[in-house]
Amino acid sequence: MPVRDFLLEIGSEELPSAPLDAARKQLLDLTAKGLADAGLAHGELRVLSSPRRLAVIASDVADATEAVSITARGPRASAAFDADGNPTKAALGFARSKGVEVEDLVVRDEKGQDYVFCDIERPSRPASELLGPMAESLIARLSWPRSQRWGSESVRYCRPVRWIVCLFGPEVVPVAYGDVTSGRETRGHRVLAPGWHDVADPASYEATLEAAFVLSHDVRAARIREGIEEVEGRLGVAVDTPARVFAEVVNLCEWPTVITGQFDERFLDVPQEIICESMLSHQRYFPTYDAKDGLTRTFVVVGNGDPACSRAIADGNERVVRARLDDAAFFYEEDLKASMEDWLERLEDVTFQERLGTLRQKVYRMEGLACEVARLAGEDDDTQALCGEAAHLAKADLVSSAVVEFTNQQGVMGGYYATAAGAPREVAEAIADHYRPRFAGDELPRGFVGKAVAIADKLDTICGMFAIDEPPTGSKDPFAQRRSAIGIIRMLLAMPQVPLRSLIAASLALYREQGLSFDEAAVAREVAGFMAGRLAVMARDEGASPDAVQAVSATGVIDPEEFLSRVRTLESMRSSEAELMDDLAQGFTRATHLADASLGTDVDEALLKDAERRLLRAVEVAEGSVAESLGKGRYGDALAALAKLRGPVDAFFEEVLVMDPDERIRANRLRLLNRFAAAFGPVADFRALARPVGD
Amino acid sequence: MANPNAPTFQEMILALQTYWAGHGCAVMQPVDTEVGAGTFHTATTLRSLGPEPWAACYAQPCRRPTDGRYGENPNRMQHYYQFQVLIKPSPADSQELYLGSLTKIGLDPAEHDVRFVEDDWESPTLGAWGLGWEVWIDGMEVTQFTYFQQVGGIECDPVPVEITYGLERLAMYAQDVDSVFDLVWCVQPDGSTLTYGDVFLENEREFSAYNFEVADVAALRERFDQYERECRACLDANLPLVAYDCALKCSHQFNLLDARGALSQTERMNYILRVRTVAKSACVAWLESQRADAAEGARTEGEVA
Repeated sequence: MPVRDFLLEIGSEELPSAPLDAARKQLLDLTAKGLADAGLAHGELRVLSSPRRLAVIASDVADATEAVSITARGPRASAAFDADGNPTKAALGFARSKGVEVEDLVVRDEKGQDYVFCDIERPSRPASELLGPMAESLIARLSWPRSQRWGSESVRYCRPVRWIVCLFGPEVVPVAYGDVTSGRETRGHRVLAPGWHDVADPASYEATLEAAFVLSHDVRAARIREGIEEVEGRLGVAVDTPARVFAEVVNLCEWPTVITGQFDERFLDVPQEIICESMLSHQRYFPTYDAKDGLTRTFVVVGNGDPACSRAIADGNERVVRARLDDAAFFYEEDLKASMEDWLERLEDVTFQERLGTLRQKVYRMEGLACEVARLAGEDDDTQALCGEAAHLAKADLVSSAVVEFTNQQGVMGGYYATAAGAPREVAEAIADHYRPRFAGDELPRGFVGKAVAIADKLDTICGMFAIDEPPTGSKDPFAQRRSAIGIIRMLLAMPQVPLRSLIAASLALYREQGLSFDEAAVAREVAGFMAGRLAVMARDEGASPDAVQAVSATGVIDPEEFLSRVRTLESMRSSEAELMDDLAQGFTRATHLADASLGTDVDEALLKDAERRLLRAVEVAEGSVAESLGKGRYGDALAALAKLRGPVDAFFEEVLVMDPDERIRANRLRLLNRFAAAFGPVADFRALARPVGD
Repeated sequence: MANPNAPTFQEMILALQTYWAGHGCAVMQPVDTEVGAGTFHTATTLRSLGPEPWAACYAQPCRRPTDGRYGENPNRMQHYYQFQVLIKPSPADSQELYLGSLTKIGLDPAEHDVRFVEDDWESPTLGAWGLGWEVWIDGMEVTQFTYFQQVGGIECDPVPVEITYGLERLAMYAQDVDSVFDLVWCVQPDGSTLTYGDVFLENEREFSAYNFEVADVAALRERFDQYERECRACLDANLPLVAYDCALKCSHQFNLLDARGALSQTERMNYILRVRTVAKSACVAWLESQRADAAEGARTEGEVA
C-alpha cells in the first residue's frame, strides 16, 4: 500500500499558554484515534505548536483503507424471526453488534440448519476522502477550559481560527471550520515574515515555518535554554526560571531572542520577593542571582521581535520594569510609614468566612491557640509570649498596599514590616513563614514560633469549618483544609509532646467564646476523625499496608508521631515476626468472635481452672506492660508484651471448652476473653490484621 | 518631548480617529456621564447586543476614583483616557487592523516586540465577559483586546471585538517620557508646548482629595438609592436609554463610596450586585425595544409595498 504524510495545521489568533500545552497532548490522542477509526494505517505522529498554530503530522498514512470482506453467522433463523416473520431481539442485537441494519441480514442454510448471516463487504476507501472529515472533527473536539465564538460564526475554538493547512502528500485536503477553508498557505512570524507562505508538502512543513521565522515548541524551549546558559556564562549569574513561567515564556513567542536588561540599583533596597514577583508574574522576566545567591540588577527577557531591534526592545522593557518596581517600592515605602496595629484594626472589616466572622476575630483565636501550642509543647513563658505576639501580627499585612498588589507575598511582607517595627527576630520569621507549607513538599516554618502560629492558623480554619458543618468534600475545599491538615501533621511531628485532641478542644472553645454555637463534643470527634483520615493517607503514602494503618487508626490515636511510629513498628514486627503476629491476630479474632461485650470484663477467679488462671495472670501482666510501654512511647515493647499472651491463649483454647453447659462458668469464661481482647485495644485493632488479603 | 518625532497626545487621538474612520468606524464622542471605562459607553455596551452590525470609535475619559494619587504618581490617575473601538461582527483581520493602527501613532510593530498575552475580560457590574488579550509593546501593557461573548447577561450574536487603547501609556512610550504629566498635549502656535500636566495635574490633586477625603458618604449612599429608584422608574416607563444612564450613575456613586473606604467586604459585593442588576435590566429592556422597532419597521415596509 502506498503511503503519504498527512499535515493538519490549525492557524488561529494567539492561544493562551496552559490550554495550548494541554491541547498538544489532546491533538496527538485525537489524531491517533481518528486515524484508527477511519481504518488508516500510519507511522509516527508528531504535534507542533506556536502561539498562533497547533499542528499534527502523521507520517506514512496509508493511501486507502484495506478492503474488508467478512461473513458472520448469527442466531438460528427460528430464533431470529417470530411467527410473523418479524425480527426478534436476538436478530436486532446481532445486527447492531455488526453495525448493520436488520434488513441487511440474510438467511442461509449451514449443515442443514437455517441461520442468520451478516455479509460485510467494505470496499477500500481512499484516505483523501476520509482525512477531511477526520480533520474537521479533530478541530471541533479539542476541548478548552474556555472557548469562544467570533464574527458571525457559530463554531467555537479557544481563540478565532484564521487559517487551516491540510495536506495529504502534496495535495490539499478540503477542510472547513466556520468561515475558514483549508489551503496550503500558512502564516509566518508577524513582523519577520508577514503574510502567507506556501507549504509544499507535510515533510517540508517545519522547514517552511523556520524560513518564515517560526520555531516549534520544543525547538523554542531549547533555544531559550541555550540563550539563558549563554547569559549565565557571560555574566557569571544564575538565572531563575520557575517551570510555570518558563512554560509560558516558550508559548509567548515564535522566534525567541534572549535579551538582558537592568533595573536601577535603588530597587535592591526593596524586598526581593516583591521585585521577583513583579518581574516573574507580571512581566515574565527571569531574575538573576550572583554567586552568593543575592539578587542582581540584571534580568532576562525572552523577546519575539526582530533580533536586530533587541537593544531598543531591551530599553523598552527596562522602562516598564522601572515603572513596575517604582510601584512596588512605593507600596513598600508607604507601608513602612503605617503601623501594623492600624492594619489589625482594619481586619475588622475583612470577612474571614461569613459565619465565622472577621479576620480580626480569627487573629484573636490564633493568638490563644498559638500560645496553647507553646504551652502544651512545654515551652517557657517567653516563648509562649512570642507565639502570641507573632499570631497577633500574622495577618496584619493582608491590608498592606504591597500585599494587596502582590498577594503571593502575604506573610513575607509582614515579616519585613515586623522587623522594621522592631519585633524580635523569631516573631518576624514566624509571620513570614506561617503560611507554610503552602504545597506538597514545601518547607515548614523555620522556628518553633512559626510552627506554632502556622498550626494555630490552619487548625482554626479546619475547626471552624467543621463547626459550621462545612467540612471539605471531594469537590469543595475552598480553604484547602486537606492540605492544611497535612501541614499540621508535618509540624506536629516536630513536637510529639503536643496532644492534637487538646488543641482541637482549645480551638473549638475559642469559637464558643466568640459566640458560635455548635455541639463541641461531636465536632471535636469529627475533626479528630478528619485528621485521622489524613494521617492514614500519609501513612499509606509512606508505603504502609492498608490493614496496618487501619489497625492503628482503630485505636483512636491521632497524634501524628505516635500514629506513624505505631504503623511503622507494626509493619516491621509483621515482617520480622510474621508467625507470632499472625497467631496473636488469630487468637484475638477467636476471642472476639466468641466474646459478648455486654458481659464486661469482671472475671470471678474462684470459677477458673488452671489454664484460665494462667491466661488471666498473663493478661494482667500484659496490661501492666502495655500501659507502661505506651506511656513511654515504646510501642514495640507493647507489642512484645502482647506477644507473651500467645502461649497462654493457645493453651486456653486447647484445654478449655468456652461454651460450658453451666451458664455461670460460660459467662465467666467469656468475661475472661473480653478482658484478653481488651488488653489489645490500646495497641492496635488486631481484627484488621487478621483479615485475609483482599477481604 | 524626549522623542521629537513622536505624535502629541492630541495627534494620537486624531490619528486613531482618522485610521478607524478609514476602516468603517463611525467616530463617536464620549458619553457625557462619569464612567470607569470606555466599555460603559452606550456605543459599546448597548450596541454589542442584537443582530445589527455596528462599528464605532471614540476617546472616552474614564474615572476610577480609587486610582487617584494626588498627581504624585507618574503612572496613576483617577481620570484618564481610553480610545475605544467596537466592531460587530468582529472582522477576520481584527488583529492586523489593530497592528496597522500602531504605525499611525509612531509605534511601528516591526521595530518593537508586540505580544498578545492571554487576559480574559470580565465586568462584574455589567454582567459581561469575553476572551482576548492584553497587548504588550516591549513588555508594556497598552491595549485590551476582547471578543465579547456576553453583555448584560445576554449572549452576543454576532460577536463584537472591543479594542481599548490606554492612551496615556502609549503616548508616554511613543514620546519617551517617564511621567504622564510631562506628555505633550499639543504644540501651540507660538511654539510652546501644552503638557498633560498643564491640563490635568490640578484636576488630579483636587479630585483625589475629594474622592478620598471630602465626598459625603451619606449623600453618596442616598444618591445611589435615588438613581437605582430612578432606573427602575425609567424601566417601567419603557425608557431603557435613560435607565441605562441611571445605572451608570449608580456605578459612579459606588466607585466613590469604594474610594472613601466606606464599604465593608460584604457591603461592597452587595453594591456590585445592585449595579449589575440595574445594568442588566437596562440592557435587556434596550434589546427588547430594538426588536420592537425592527418588527414595527418590517410591518410598515409591508404596508408600503
